[in-house]
Amino acid sequence: MITVELTYDMSKALGIETFEVDDVPTVADVVAATRAKFGDKGEEFAKLSRVAAVAVNGMLVNYRKGMKTKLAPGDTVAFVKAAAGG
Amino acid sequence: MIKGYAGRVLEIDLANRTFVFQPLDEDIARLYIGGKGYGTRLLYDMTPAGIDPLGPENPLIFATGPLNGSVAPQSNRFAVVCKSPLTGGIGNAACGGSFAYGMKRGGIDVIVLKHQSESPVRLEIDGDKSEVRFIDATDLWGKGTYETQQILGKKKYHAVIGPAGENLVRYAGIVSNERIAGRTGVGAVMGSKKLKAITVGGSRKLEMDDPDAFKEYTSWVREHFRDHPVLGESLKRFGTGGIVPTTNARNIIPTHNFKYGHFKDAMKISGQYMEDHELKGVKSSCIHCPVTCGRDVELEGIGRVKGPEYETLALMGSNLDIGDLKRVNEWNYHADDLGMDSISLGASLGFAMELRERGMLSIDIEFGDPSGITELIKDVGHRRGIGNDLAEGVKRMSEKYGGADFAPHVKGLELSAYDPRGSYAQGVEYATTNRGGCHVQGASMYMESVGPLTINPQNLKLKADIPVIQQNLACAINSMVLCIFTTYGMIPKQIHEMDPNSFTYKAITTAFENSGPLFRILMGIKGKPMMWFEKWLTYITGTTFSGGHLQEIGARIFNLERMYNLREGMTGADDTLPHRILHEPTFKGMTSGHPLDQLLPRYYRNRGWDTDGVPLAKTLEKLQVRV
Repeated sequence: MITVELTYDMSKALGIETFEVDDVPTVADVVAATRAKFGDKGEEFAKLSRVAAVAVNGMLVNYRKGMKTKLAPGDTVAFVKAAAGG
Repeated sequence: MIKGYAGRVLEIDLANRTFVFQPLDEDIARLYIGGKGYGTRLLYDMTPAGIDPLGPENPLIFATGPLNGSVAPQSNRFAVVCKSPLTGGIGNAACGGSFAYGMKRGGIDVIVLKHQSESPVRLEIDGDKSEVRFIDATDLWGKGTYETQQILGKKKYHAVIGPAGENLVRYAGIVSNERIAGRTGVGAVMGSKKLKAITVGGSRKLEMDDPDAFKEYTSWVREHFRDHPVLGESLKRFGTGGIVPTTNARNIIPTHNFKYGHFKDAMKISGQYMEDHELKGVKSSCIHCPVTCGRDVELEGIGRVKGPEYETLALMGSNLDIGDLKRVNEWNYHADDLGMDSISLGASLGFAMELRERGMLSIDIEFGDPSGITELIKDVGHRRGIGNDLAEGVKRMSEKYGGADFAPHVKGLELSAYDPRGSYAQGVEYATTNRGGCHVQGASMYMESVGPLTINPQNLKLKADIPVIQQNLACAINSMVLCIFTTYGMIPKQIHEMDPNSFTYKAITTAFENSGPLFRILMGIKGKPMMWFEKWLTYITGTTFSGGHLQEIGARIFNLERMYNLREGMTGADDTLPHRILHEPTFKGMTSGHPLDQLLPRYYRNRGWDTDGVPLAKTLEKLQVRV
C-alpha cells in the first residue's frame, strides 16, 4: 500500500488527512487513484495538487522526476505547500 | 547625528545606582548599524576575555536600530547582547513586543547595564527628563512575567524577567509584552544583576531624512505584505504553527529527541489544527506589525494567553512524541510566565526522556506521556530537584549523565526545530552560527526546504553558499532591528503561485541551484536599494543601503562575533553538529547523516577563513573588523 498525506487545503477538501491507496507505479498514479477514490471531490484534489510540491518519504521530488517518480510498496507520498515558521 | 538614531547611549551602574547618558558613537553606527551589531562591538570592546557570564563584569546591552520607532511593519524589535551563560560565547537574542518603541520614544538607542545590584531592583527610565529611578523590586521578585507586567502597567513599555531569570536558568529569557528574547540565556544575565524589570518611555519622535518617501513607500509595503502568500496568508491565518505539515512531510520536524523527522500526530499540533480547535484570537503583540503571527488560546483556570509558536509546538510536541495541543498550550504558557526559552526547554525535556529510555537517568517523564511535565517545567524555572539539572541545558546534562552523541545542541545552544538531515544548508548554518544551534540567524531552511523554491536540500549545491548570504543578511536585519520574518517576503507571490511541475518553475529553481559562486557575487553587488528594508534604511538615514551594503555590514558583524568566540576559547572544532545528526539516517534510503565534513571547508573558504575556521587577516581588514 502507498500512504498519502495531504496539505491542509486538500485535507479540508477531501475530509481526510491521510489515507492509503493500492500499490501504484508513480506519483501521477497516486493522483489518479485518489481522484477515482473520492469521486467528485477527487477533482478538487487534482486541482490543488497542481500547485503543491510532492515529497516521497520526506524527499521532495519536484526537482527530480516529479509526477513520474517511481514508487515502491510502503512509500509515503505527501503533498506539501511552502510555509514559514520561526 | 545620523537621522534615525536618538543619539544617546544610557549607561547604568547597578552596583552604585548611578547612570550617565553618553553620545552614540556614530562611527560604530555607520559600520554596524545598531541592534546586535552595535551591541556586539560594545561587548567586544568593554570586556576582557574569560569573564564569568553571570558575574558583575558581564554587561547586558539592550540595543535598537534606526528603523525602531518608525511605523515600518515588523520594525519594533530590540536586540540584547552579552556573554552567554549557556554557551560561554557570544550571547544575543532579539525580541518584539513594545520595548524598542519605548526606548526610541525615550530618545535612547542603547542601554548598557553594568555590574550587579545587591538586592532586587527595577528601573524606570524617563527619556524626556533624562532620569533613571532605581526602585526596590523585592515585591516583584518571584512573580511571573504576566503578573509582573500587569502590575507595572500595561500601557508602558517594559522588559522583564520571570523566576527562571531570577534563578539563573541558563536559557532564561527577557520578556516584552508576550514576546521573549529567548535564546542564549540573556534573562539569566539580567537575573544575575538582580534586575527584575526595566520600564522606559518618552515623547521623542523619530527623525527621518526623507519622511515623505518613507511614508509613501511603506504604504506599498503594507499592500505587498497583505498580498503575500506567507506574510499575508500562511502566517496571518495559521501563525508560525502553519509550517508543521510542511516540515512533517519533509521529514524535518524533530521527533523523539531528534531521532526521527516525522511525527504521526503532527497535524494535531499544527497551526491548522489550532485554528479549528483552540484558537481564541489572532493578534499582533509587536507594535506596527500587520502580519499578526501571534495566536491566543484559552487555558482552563488561567484565561486567554499567547499560544505556542512553531518551535514550541515541535520541541514540546513532536520532539516529546506528544500530539496534544492543549498540553503544549499549557507548557508554553508556563515557559513564558517563568521566562524561559521554550526551544532549549523542550530540547532538554526530550534529552532527559531519552536518557531515561536508555536507563541513564531516573526521572518521572517519558516519551508520549504528558504526565509530570507541567510540574517539571515549574521545577526547572525554580531550579528544584531534577529540574535543577535541566536548567543547565542539554550540553551540561550530557556532561553529567552521558549521552553526548544524542544531545541536540551546537556550541551549547539547543537545536531549533528543523532537522538538518533534510535541510543541508540549515545544518551548515547551525554548525557555524556564532551563538550556536539556532535557525533565526539565517533561516537557510526557507531558501532550500520549506519555502517556495524547493531546490534539492540534500545535495551539496549552494549548501555552503546559502548560509553565508543568509547569516550576513540576518546580522544586518537584527541590527536595524527588524523581524527575520521580513525576509520571507523577498520571494515574490508569483513564484509561490507557480506549478512546481511547470517548465518555468523548474528552470528558475535549476538556475538558482546551479548558480554556485555567482549567487554570492550577485548578492554582494552594491547598487540601488531594492528591498523594502534597504529603502527604509536609506529613507531614514539618508545613506544608501543596497543588498550589497547589507551583505558587507552583515559579514562584518558575523566576523566580529566569530572573533569574540575565538577570544573566549572556541575553535573550528565547535563548528559541528550532534553525532546523531552527522551519522544516523532518518530518510528511507539514506545511509548516513548530514555531510558537514564536505561542506564546512567550502563554507570557510567562502567566508575568507583559514582551514581551522579563523578569519584571515585580509578578511578582517577588508571588512574593517578591528580586533
